[in-house]
Amino acid sequence: MSTNTRHGVVAAEWTKLSSVRSTWWTALAGLLVMAASAGQLAIYAANDNTNDDPTDDRGIVTVGSVLIDSVELTQYVVLALGLLAITAEFTSGTIRTTLQCTPSRGRVLLAKAAVTGAVTFALGLLLGGVGALVARPVLGEWGSAPTAGTIGDIVAVAAYLALIGVLALGLGAALRSAVLTLTVLLATLMIVPLSLQEPDIDVLNRIADVFPGVAGGHFLAGDTEPYPRPVGLLLLAGWAAAALLLGRAALRRRDA
Amino acid sequence: MITLRGLTKRFGSTVAVDALTVDVAPGRVTGFLGPNGAGKSTTMRMILGLDRPTAGQALVGGRAYRELRRPLHEVGALLDARAIHPARSGRAHLRAMAHSNGIPTRRVDEVLDTVGLDGRAAGKPGRTLSLGMGQRLGIAGALLGDPPVLMFDEPVNGLDPDGVRWVRQLMRSLADEGRTVFVSSHLMSEMQLTADQLVVIGRGRLLIDAPIGEVIARSTVAVRVRSPHPDGLAALAARLTTAGASVEAADRNELTVTGVTADQVGDLAHELGVRLHELSAHAASLEQAFMELTADSVEYAGGPTGGGAR
Repeated sequence: MSTNTRHGVVAAEWTKLSSVRSTWWTALAGLLVMAASAGQLAIYAANDNTNDDPTDDRGIVTVGSVLIDSVELTQYVVLALGLLAITAEFTSGTIRTTLQCTPSRGRVLLAKAAVTGAVTFALGLLLGGVGALVARPVLGEWGSAPTAGTIGDIVAVAAYLALIGVLALGLGAALRSAVLTLTVLLATLMIVPLSLQEPDIDVLNRIADVFPGVAGGHFLAGDTEPYPRPVGLLLLAGWAAAALLLGRAALRRRDA
Repeated sequence: MITLRGLTKRFGSTVAVDALTVDVAPGRVTGFLGPNGAGKSTTMRMILGLDRPTAGQALVGGRAYRELRRPLHEVGALLDARAIHPARSGRAHLRAMAHSNGIPTRRVDEVLDTVGLDGRAAGKPGRTLSLGMGQRLGIAGALLGDPPVLMFDEPVNGLDPDGVRWVRQLMRSLADEGRTVFVSSHLMSEMQLTADQLVVIGRGRLLIDAPIGEVIARSTVAVRVRSPHPDGLAALAARLTTAGASVEAADRNELTVTGVTADQVGDLAHELGVRLHELSAHAASLEQAFMELTADSVEYAGGPTGGGAR
């Protein structure tokens, strides 16, 4: 396989993603959700410090921490990009054209992952920037935005969103239906780990820590417990890779 | 050149394609005929590596489709004209295809021109394309890589008469350029006008693989007899039956006779003194030939005659 062809397949996927308006609407929706979410969380933080109840006081919070909390909600808009990159092909029947052009299922999925990852990473940087711009003035005296730390948090948010986007893509390839994929993602990212953490039993907490959303959360927050920061990122990347493998297996086995 | 060897596809207990062995040769238009549900589309999907055969193999130019690196240069195919993203323009659709196979994007405008889609139509989102425009776009996609092998699944569906004529001419010229052209249809009349070779399947099984002239010649010649005297006609029918012909009474004044020549029918009528108003021989059309071929293999019989494709 020549490099040219590989570039071509990636270019094809970029053409497909960029030529439908829903991609741009999704990006815009992501920006709005991020702005609203960051603004709201910043108001909460400032409020907690200024209300009459001193037990609420959090002191000065970083803009980065507000961003990271905003991702909790914003990620569901961003992962739609990864999801739609494949499920729209199944619903419209264009998957047959795609596989006709590139019979290697693995190559198709890798190209889609490259485009999804790059787009959601870039969008993540933009979202982080917008979130910071909104949160900073709202936090006022209760916020701090150390340059290096904030930039680090924005890049971490972008990396997290890129991996979540690829995870959604791989799952979408395996499950084919957008609704089913979104349901499974909601369960994996939120419902199951939350249920596991609810009783606060050590073993269950440990299991929850392996889930992609929780691992990504530890990575974003820069936690050193229960595992060092890079392990959180690796766990999330592992989930994304596993989803891609699952998607490839499904594409190979099933009739298109 | 398309080579099918014992190609078989089962869906659960249903056999969609049953041990199909066919060579589709270059330089001519090969019509792929069968009633709906006969397995034509499944066969084409297996050739394109979209469906996995249960057994046997389908090769294009001697290779399995899934092994091809830039398949658009080897095989162009129109499968489903409606398979375009509802929000994507036809031009973007073709551009993505071109990118994937390293085809320069100016080729997109060339094929759009070839199929007669102007800039405005090519810029419209997929959901607004008529079936006819979708067919043209699909054909444009098939031509993109200038491939030696072309497959079209029911390409004239939804086209106006001008479009139908255009598709016929296109397939003819593609075959004349030495390409392999494999066209499926359930419309016999269409194939009679375009195909050189016929591959007919019914319930997934190969019924015939022969030049079109041979298929028509093989089928029965029918003799039509009309008389103003129903009684005399009935007597003639009885004599014909004893002579081994098969007789069908169209109405009281008309018979359709097969198994004997028009001369023999005329002689018998003269013998019996039956006055005739018409005695004519009819070469069976491809339509009739097809009905006979597939009579036993129609998946969904439309009526008591169990006849033909719908």
